Amino acid sequence: MTLLRVENLTKRFGGLAAVHHVSFGIDRGEIVSLIGPNGAGKTTIFNLISGVYSPDAGQILLENESLVGRRPFEVCQKGVGRTFQIMQPFPHMTVLENVVVSALFGRVPKISMTQARKEASELCRLVGLGEKQGAFPRNLTVADQKRIEIARALAVRPKLLLLDEVMSGLTPTETVEAIGLVRRIRQSGVTILLIEHVMKVVMGISDRIIVLHHGEKIAEGPAAEVTNDPRVIEAYLGEHIEDLEEPPC
Amino acid sequence: MSRSLSWKKGLGLVALALILISYPKLVDSYFLHLSVATLLAMIMACSWDILARTGQVSVGQAGLFGIGAYTAALLYQKVHLHPILGMLAGALLALMVAIGLGYLTLRLRGIYFSITTIAFAEALSVIWLMTPSITGGAMGVSTPPLFGGNREHAYYLILTLFGLVLLALWLIESSRLNFAFTAIRENEEVANVMGINPTRYKVLAFAISAFFAGFAGGFYSHYNTYIIPYEVFGLGISIACLVMPIFGGLYTILGPIIGTILIKAIEEYLRVTISYGHQIAYGLILVMVVLFMPEGLIGLYKRRILPLWGRGTES
Amino acid sequence: MDWPSFFQSIANGVLIAGLYAAVTLGLTLVLGVMGIVNFAHGELVMLGAYNTFWFYTLLGLDPLVSLSLSGLLLFFIGIGIYRFTIRPILKDPPLNQLLLTLGLSIFFQNLAMILWKTDSRSVITSYSGMSLHLGMVHIGLTRLITFLLAVTLTILLVLFLYKARPGRAMRAVSENNTASWLIGINVQRTYLLAFGVASAIAGASGALVSTVMYTFPMVGFKLSLKAFCILVLGGLGNIPGALFGSLILGLTESFVGTYVPEGSGWAEGISFILLIIILLIKPTGLAGTRRE
Repeated sequence: MTLLRVENLTKRFGGLAAVHHVSFGIDRGEIVSLIGPNGAGKTTIFNLISGVYSPDAGQILLENESLVGRRPFEVCQKGVGRTFQIMQPFPHMTVLENVVVSALFGRVPKISMTQARKEASELCRLVGLGEKQGAFPRNLTVADQKRIEIARALAVRPKLLLLDEVMSGLTPTETVEAIGLVRRIRQSGVTILLIEHVMKVVMGISDRIIVLHHGEKIAEGPAAEVTNDPRVIEAYLGEHIEDLEEPPC
Repeated sequence: MSRSLSWKKGLGLVALALILISYPKLVDSYFLHLSVATLLAMIMACSWDILARTGQVSVGQAGLFGIGAYTAALLYQKVHLHPILGMLAGALLALMVAIGLGYLTLRLRGIYFSITTIAFAEALSVIWLMTPSITGGAMGVSTPPLFGGNREHAYYLILTLFGLVLLALWLIESSRLNFAFTAIRENEEVANVMGINPTRYKVLAFAISAFFAGFAGGFYSHYNTYIIPYEVFGLGISIACLVMPIFGGLYTILGPIIGTILIKAIEEYLRVTISYGHQIAYGLILVMVVLFMPEGLIGLYKRRILPLWGRGTES
Repeated sequence: MDWPSFFQSIANGVLIAGLYAAVTLGLTLVLGVMGIVNFAHGELVMLGAYNTFWFYTLLGLDPLVSLSLSGLLLFFIGIGIYRFTIRPILKDPPLNQLLLTLGLSIFFQNLAMILWKTDSRSVITSYSGMSLHLGMVHIGLTRLITFLLAVTLTILLVLFLYKARPGRAMRAVSENNTASWLIGINVQRTYLLAFGVASAIAGASGALVSTVMYTFPMVGFKLSLKAFCILVLGGLGNIPGALFGSLILGLTESFVGTYVPEGSGWAEGISFILLIIILLIKPTGLAGTRRE
């Protein structure tokens, strides 16, 4: 059952095509990773799906309904939640309040304040921020701030969750916890598309991998297939090996 | 961010209310007039702050104030509409104009909206001067004294309006609107992605703000008995109602109130010492606040004074 | 078709556009190089105008001669303003920058009121009433000289930006200040100079303003509104855009003044209407943006 269908998606900035004729589909319940060297266009794709940018060409279909031309809040209310690569929690709100915002406004039909607080609190506990609900984001660690991002995105009860590099900067223990969390989220019925650089995570968690390079899709398929694809290897070897983050053993 | 009334606060408010209600019996006419002027200013300051909560800075509240003033005055002049109804009409018209203007301009990034509001008030001034047959033009419009000159009644009216503004602010702060406004202000793009329609909430804030500014304008026209475009659409009013909340502390209820009282005091002092240009203090205050105390007096209090008492600050 | 009126309108429009351009150039420079919209720019023009008035009244200096003095004086005032109020807030959110420059604007407007009262001043020279005839068109001598000087100022600025080292540095910084810093440009010094130069131009345009308009404390504010309109019309932060926008505004005001009944009164409101229209159709300005 296809949840998301992206066809011929193209986006140009100035003369440069950040994303060029990219097509792929994601089925309900899948965990799909979007990988590629820096500048490949991955976050641009997220921005296109979530409505922050509008495509110059192509189509984005969520459950067969077009998302093109819709503004971000509409896309959110249609069932897309996302995190941001550079964490952007609301600085003057507590952790709980940050999540309450999405719960209040991202859901259709709207829920009450009491309900929103309850759900936000549960989500905080789910992602591991149960004790820190009253804290302010600036006082928290990187890992915790990523948790806020995830909780916020989940609060809109998304059908599709877009996770943008939530694993980078985590310790090995934190990474294991995060993987567990992502799996639990999928189990609760959410389809997940993630952008990741940490290859170990990508290999371990993905049903399928999509590889982007210079704005174009160069490979797609299960992990083993993709990593043996010569074009993928060339794309990565063409970049510096250090760009591939491997968590220390 | 939620509001709950504790016993002590409630009692304090009741005491304050009692003082405010019996106030006119206790003071002379000059102070009563000063109080009315201060309450009016507080209403304008609070109304400006409502829009400011969405991160939009209006430098044209005078436009809405003037619309309210002229609606009340002209309706009285043409059809003898009762002053209070005239004020209400002014408030509603200002609200509608704000909705229209808001939908057109609140999509723009912050500073362009601000520029537009300045131009808006100026344009109204021009329109008014060019259509004297309808608006009275440069000669202005007169109305008879409000309540036959009874300052006490005027005081109670403005006090009631002020109470309504406070009620509105309290309701906003304890509802989901507070979350929407704050989210938009802190990061509009992220708020959008989280499901908030920024334009709709900004327009809502603008409309509420306009309603009170328009009502205040209507009150002013009857209280003052005479209005001219240069004054009611003037930059002075727009600046005044932003300096007060900024000085006192933005995005709070107490901030605009404290800021207004202090600034009114400074203004009264200056008014008797120099005949023109007393708003120079506003300019200085704005510059000083941005450079040295961006969170206003309330912020200063939270950061410098509370910690001295061992009560730390969280944000 | 009343050709004389038509051409007269064009002439008037172009002449006033020159003045508007001179006023807007400094604003554009600061916006382009530092990304700040200086709400007090109009007041710098106003100070230049008063400066000219006093030089003329007290020392008998012809306004178009004391223009360079006004420019010089405002250069230093500008540097002072930059050093003490603008530099600290360079990295602040735009809202703070708006409030600060707005505060400066109010400060200077009221200072002028206190020092010089609110009366309108005129600078009337021996040649103020003279005019030239070019075919069907009358051109006031003062207006013509003002226009030519405004054009000269513009040319000087462009030469400065393209030929002089500090000027080229300013252009580099406005394109990309990190890259500029990396190649050794002293970005802070460049900002300082840019603000100073912008203020100098403002001061010089103030001299021009004093000859064709009344000088009064709020004259800067009135001109600021037009300058903002021009900024938006022309695409923020670029000079050709400012020239283009000035022309549009000047011509529109002139034609409204001629052809709309009581048009000269309405002409003041034109800038607002144009502003609204442009912001609605194309929020980034007509001539496109160089800087957001």
